[in-house]
Amino acid sequence: MNRANWCFTLLVLATFSILPLIASADETCNSPYMGNLIKGQEDYVYVWTLGVKGMGDGFDKLVTIDANPTSKQYGKVIHKISVGGRGEAHHMGFTDDRRFLWAGGLDDSKIFVFDVGTDPARPKIVKRITDFPAKTGFIGPHTFYAMPGRMLVQGLSNTKDNGGSTGFAVYSNRGELINVQPMLSEKGGDGYGYDLAINPQKNVMLSSSFTGRANYMRELGKLVADGEAMKKFGNTMVVWDLKSLTPKKVLSVPGAPLEIRWSLRQGDNWAITASALTSKLWLVKEDAAGEWQAKEVATIGDPAKIPLPVDISISRDGTGLWVNTFMDGKTRYFDLTNPEQPKQTYEKVTGKQVNMISQSWDGKRVYIASSLLANWDKGGDDNEQFVRAFKWDGKELTPIFEVDFNKEKLGRAHHMKFGSKATRAAFTPARTASLVPAR
Amino acid sequence: MARASAAAALALMSLAGRAPAHEPPVAPDPPAMMDFVPPAPGTYRLYDIMPAPDGTVLDLEGRRARLARFTTGKITVLSFIYTNCDDARGCPLAYQVFHTMHDRLRETPALRDRVRLVTLSFDPAHDTPAVMRRYANGVITERAPGVEWTFLTTGSARELLPILDGFGQDVQVDRRPRAGRAPRLGHVLKVFLIDPRGMIREIYTTSYLFPDVVLNDIETLRRE
Repeated sequence: MNRANWCFTLLVLATFSILPLIASADETCNSPYMGNLIKGQEDYVYVWTLGVKGMGDGFDKLVTIDANPTSKQYGKVIHKISVGGRGEAHHMGFTDDRRFLWAGGLDDSKIFVFDVGTDPARPKIVKRITDFPAKTGFIGPHTFYAMPGRMLVQGLSNTKDNGGSTGFAVYSNRGELINVQPMLSEKGGDGYGYDLAINPQKNVMLSSSFTGRANYMRELGKLVADGEAMKKFGNTMVVWDLKSLTPKKVLSVPGAPLEIRWSLRQGDNWAITASALTSKLWLVKEDAAGEWQAKEVATIGDPAKIPLPVDISISRDGTGLWVNTFMDGKTRYFDLTNPEQPKQTYEKVTGKQVNMISQSWDGKRVYIASSLLANWDKGGDDNEQFVRAFKWDGKELTPIFEVDFNKEKLGRAHHMKFGSKATRAAFTPARTASLVPAR
Repeated sequence: MARASAAAALALMSLAGRAPAHEPPVAPDPPAMMDFVPPAPGTYRLYDIMPAPDGTVLDLEGRRARLARFTTGKITVLSFIYTNCDDARGCPLAYQVFHTMHDRLRETPALRDRVRLVTLSFDPAHDTPAVMRRYANGVITERAPGVEWTFLTTGSARELLPILDGFGQDVQVDRRPRAGRAPRLGHVLKVFLIDPRGMIREIYTTSYLFPDVVLNDIETLRRE
């Protein structure tokens, strides 16, 4: 190596410390194309947080919590970055290399790309995509799902009537639109969208269905009282050919099937979802003839009371499933040893309202966030806003720390993703320079 | 998956000493199995993802050339490797898949003159043109004439980094000591399918790199 090369190398070394290999961790619900899961102790929990008018700066923000028990700041907010507006912050997803975290707003339909590779403790906005509606005809970017070098972005609604007819878009990791795909609105398809999940070994993608902006931005009490509006929820899942991104089969799954989780166990080829309005667990699996089928396999609480199952989190070996039900504030654990017959083995009230749930890869830590949607969250004293961390020993959830998002004047805590010091990237200046500078 | 800075690795490798290339892989996880019949060529569309980046590379004679020379004019399948790689699901798997595709393409008259394989090192400190020549030796001497398979490296980290950045191929150094062996360069290994215009049309990761799918994609591009 010549002297110039050595100088350059030393400059890089001086700029970026050499970091340990990713300890293999969470994140049992990420894209299968993500190659560097955190399989040890997560260092950070990123929380995509809805701004609340009159609370702090009132803007949506990405909040970073220190989650490493060896840290002096364990359980504390160590960083927050506002996006300068309030647009119904909702879900997030990493790019395949875990360098960037994409996050969307269901109301303003903006997409924010955070660099979490350069300094995982201090995410930075490196790109804002503001033309998602104009370019796609969809609004409410919900699921952000990594493919190699690309991101799938599932919409919830559309620009024409704010209804549930929608679709998804494919972006390059640099944030450039590649193609647009509407959801299936014929041959039994209802056109709704919500989550996406891929099984590469089967060349299959599953989609689920929710409702349009006219419903999800409406105050929950008024919505539930409107019989016509309540008919406008999705009742299907769709099996897609992954290679061609074309729909193959519509599955009947009544009552708004939401999050989709494939079993991660080698050789398993089934996925599970929860239907929010009918409070059921549904198994999606190939039958003996190789046909994908959806089958109701369990009931969550008392459906008559509409406990409203929201988020689910599957264990890494596919033998257990956490289910949060928003209305009763319960966190339930189902034994999935036989996915055809899940059995609830545990439940605990973990808040007055609970929504998202994320477990560490080893299943020993469980994180719960409180907010569902700004206009669906409860009021008064029931409007707790938090991230609560628990230890799980297989029998009991034991609190280990909590961040009160009301007290900290942060807002409504929604989606969580884990971060690690080990994901700090080597070539970040060059990579981020290739993105459009933040405005 | 192992990760770390290639540039940092340049220094580390020089400090830590060298291990011979092509050591046996360590405890491989079972590779993902393809459990489906891929859609027939031409029945689906491969979208433009992004232009393949250009840059300066070295061929096996040590001659400087533009990378674009090797990513245009033919359908190109390109992967990044480093010859010290021992992650069985990384470079060795890519190498094995390239061999499979090389053999299959050679038996397909409609494709063999229209497809190029490119193996590009991301370890310029170790993978000099001479090392790459040894790495490529079997392919060049035993398999030629046949499908073009080009082995390239770069002259420095300075020349490498923009190429990695442009492709979105991240590389990091594993600092955990490996007795007497060079540090592992971690990466989420990607393989790029590039059309004759130099446009990336598909990206595969090694965990799900199925030759039948790649060959169908190549045929899909040929039919355009």
